[in-house]
Amino acid sequence: MRLLRDLVRTPEGAIGFGILAALVLIALLAPALSPGDPLRIAGRALLPPFIDPAFPLGTDRLGRDVLAGIIHGTRTSLAVGLAAALAAIAIGLCLGLTAGFAGGLIDEGLMRVVDAFQIVPSFLLALAFVSVIGASVPVVVMAIALGAWADPARLTRAQVLSIRERDYVASARVIGMHPAEIAFREILPNALPPVLALSAIIVAAAILTEAALSFLGLGDPNVVTWGSMIAEGRNILRSSPSLSIFPGVALVVTVVGVYLFSEGLTKALAGRRLEP
Amino acid sequence: MTIANLSRRTLLQAGGTLLASTALPTVTLAQAGSRLIVAADSEPKNLNPAIVASNGVFFIASKVVEPLAEASFDGKDGLAPRLATSWEGSADGKSVTFKLREGVKWHDGKPFTSADVAYSALAIWKPLQNLGRLVFANLEAVETPDATTAVFKFSKPTPLQLIRNALPVVSSVVPKHLYEGTDIATNPANVKLVGTGPFKLTEYKPGEYYRLTKNADYWGKGEPKLDEVIFRVLPDRAGAGAALEAEEIQLAAFSAVPLTDLARISKVPGIKVISKGYEALTYQLVVEINHRRKELADVKVRQAIAHAIDRKFVVDTIFLGYAAASTGLVPKNAPEFYDASVPTYAFDTAKANALLDEAGYKKGANGTRFSLKLRPAPYFNETKQFGDYLRQALAAVGIDAQLINADSAAHQKAVYTDHDFDLAIGPPVFRGDPAISTTILVRSGIPAGVPFSNQGGYENKELDGIIAKAAETVDTAARTELYKQFQKIVATDLPLINVAEWGFITVARDTVQNVSNNPRWAVSNWSDTALKS
Repeated sequence: MRLLRDLVRTPEGAIGFGILAALVLIALLAPALSPGDPLRIAGRALLPPFIDPAFPLGTDRLGRDVLAGIIHGTRTSLAVGLAAALAAIAIGLCLGLTAGFAGGLIDEGLMRVVDAFQIVPSFLLALAFVSVIGASVPVVVMAIALGAWADPARLTRAQVLSIRERDYVASARVIGMHPAEIAFREILPNALPPVLALSAIIVAAAILTEAALSFLGLGDPNVVTWGSMIAEGRNILRSSPSLSIFPGVALVVTVVGVYLFSEGLTKALAGRRLEP
Repeated sequence: MTIANLSRRTLLQAGGTLLASTALPTVTLAQAGSRLIVAADSEPKNLNPAIVASNGVFFIASKVVEPLAEASFDGKDGLAPRLATSWEGSADGKSVTFKLREGVKWHDGKPFTSADVAYSALAIWKPLQNLGRLVFANLEAVETPDATTAVFKFSKPTPLQLIRNALPVVSSVVPKHLYEGTDIATNPANVKLVGTGPFKLTEYKPGEYYRLTKNADYWGKGEPKLDEVIFRVLPDRAGAGAALEAEEIQLAAFSAVPLTDLARISKVPGIKVISKGYEALTYQLVVEINHRRKELADVKVRQAIAHAIDRKFVVDTIFLGYAAASTGLVPKNAPEFYDASVPTYAFDTAKANALLDEAGYKKGANGTRFSLKLRPAPYFNETKQFGDYLRQALAAVGIDAQLINADSAAHQKAVYTDHDFDLAIGPPVFRGDPAISTTILVRSGIPAGVPFSNQGGYENKELDGIIAKAAETVDTAARTELYKQFQKIVATDLPLINVAEWGFITVARDTVQNVSNNPRWAVSNWSDTALKS
């Protein structure tokens, strides 16, 4: 709670938190805000925005409600972004912790694996993964996590390497604590904050990757996503630009919100560490 | 000129030309007056139309390599002579005699003779060509009594009607002297084409352009009218419209300009939108059905699906009116075969629901009867959009369709080899005669892996019988009658569901003359195409 208070005290944090809270609310309330399948054909095709109160943002090529698409797209984007970031950080933390704590050959081996994943551009990795296995939401989440776990793994390892030499770790060892206990109770909590600050950036990158995959037609075609909306609008960019602009704006707002939130979080965490 | 020998002088010269071209735009326009620049969206690996009879190859190669005859709006039998001047079938259907054009030369100067036709037919069309394999399946020998006569001998009666209708597509003649004794599949002439056509292929820069230059020795008097045709590779479909407006290109065929952009671009002065010129290459929007699925094996379920599709919506909204609703497996613009009296399925959700109830698939608690895997082909925007639409249309009658998107290779493997689909959306092509690429869509006994064929496990002995009989019926009227029966059975039993049929759209600058003057214009030789300066 104190962290949250520190966070909203910074202007970036306050704005970012506000945007994210609003998006989360929209995502949670999507079925109430726009009931029914957002992909159903609801009205006349290519209705321009701000004309018909039933379709405030107009309709697309097939007559689907753009507003419904954006509302339900929030769900997909946030869900995929959060799930991918969570998976990436979980993998990264575990591997980084193991590598840093175990040291020696295990460390060397794991870090070479990390190197391998860092060398391959994460988007290409996701592209290959999805096109081989097939597009569905869990596969997209895995594909994004696969390209994103290397950074938190490296960061965690660096943290662990410095923390494990601290006196309190040495004393924990002296009193005979089990190594796993030392790793998870003494080292992990102290290695966590910088990794958490990184997490927001991973979320933002994951949302963009998901949109890019959908844009290329590799998203799950059975759910509505902003990326696929932009891709469909792109074909008629000259005659109905609004079809690409609205989901584009939604994407920009979300990513900016996440970045601001991450800035605020970093500042709040830094400020807390400075306190005595 | 390579970068290495780029001297200061050539640079200055080039700079001078550039200056001149900006200072005197009229001069450059006059110079470019006989150069037609066309948008190309694909670069086929094998450009030999005798081996790969597909529109992507014909689009470029048909200007270089010619068939025996070309489709025509007003010619006899719907044909205009090219390398053959006349064709005649024997009464028993076992031979067809072609009289060939005299005085035709290959681009390398050697004379064109009946030996080239005999070689192309026996060594390439019959064993290697995707469509020729079917049409010339019973071709035994080609006799060449003299240099301008070729007599095709068949082991079984082969209808002249089929050969005639197939000629524009299957009969591209290539030079015997370049292919004989070599490995045909890897022959360099498959890329550096040598033909008899009005243009020579003089330059190909991968990823950039194909340059076709005038064949001064062409047999057509006063043809070709253009000095050069450049096919500029523009893989991005959204780019073709802008390139036309900027006069970087003068013609975009095969709907390179998206349908949604046509209303806007047709209002741009100096640009015309033409929907003629594709009558002999009608694409059909078809729902392919996997009959191995218990639910789909029931004809009532298939009828229900046919009733659930609003063809008017598909034509008006997905194709923006540039298509027609289908009644059956033969399109309306094949009047020779088309039968309008087949059973049709009007858009009627209530009836579809009733049929599904009758078939015993009641709606569950969640309003769903059963779930299906739906694979739309990725080749066209319209097939993908129809996939989105069909999912919604099926949801309205309680069938939950889960879309699966894949790239072309994965889609073809899943549907035509692995049969990993319940419903698929495909765009087969009607090529002037049902026996060429249409009966294969419903005939049984086709091995797995043959693309654009019946891979849904459908089997109907009566239908197979009619197809086999029509393949050997020489009498044109009797054969046509058999294909009318064929259409009736398909429309009644619904081995697949025909939704719409469409041709493509050509967008050209007003300066391009004689566009779309035959039913296969985009893939014909363009010898009379001209530019008004």
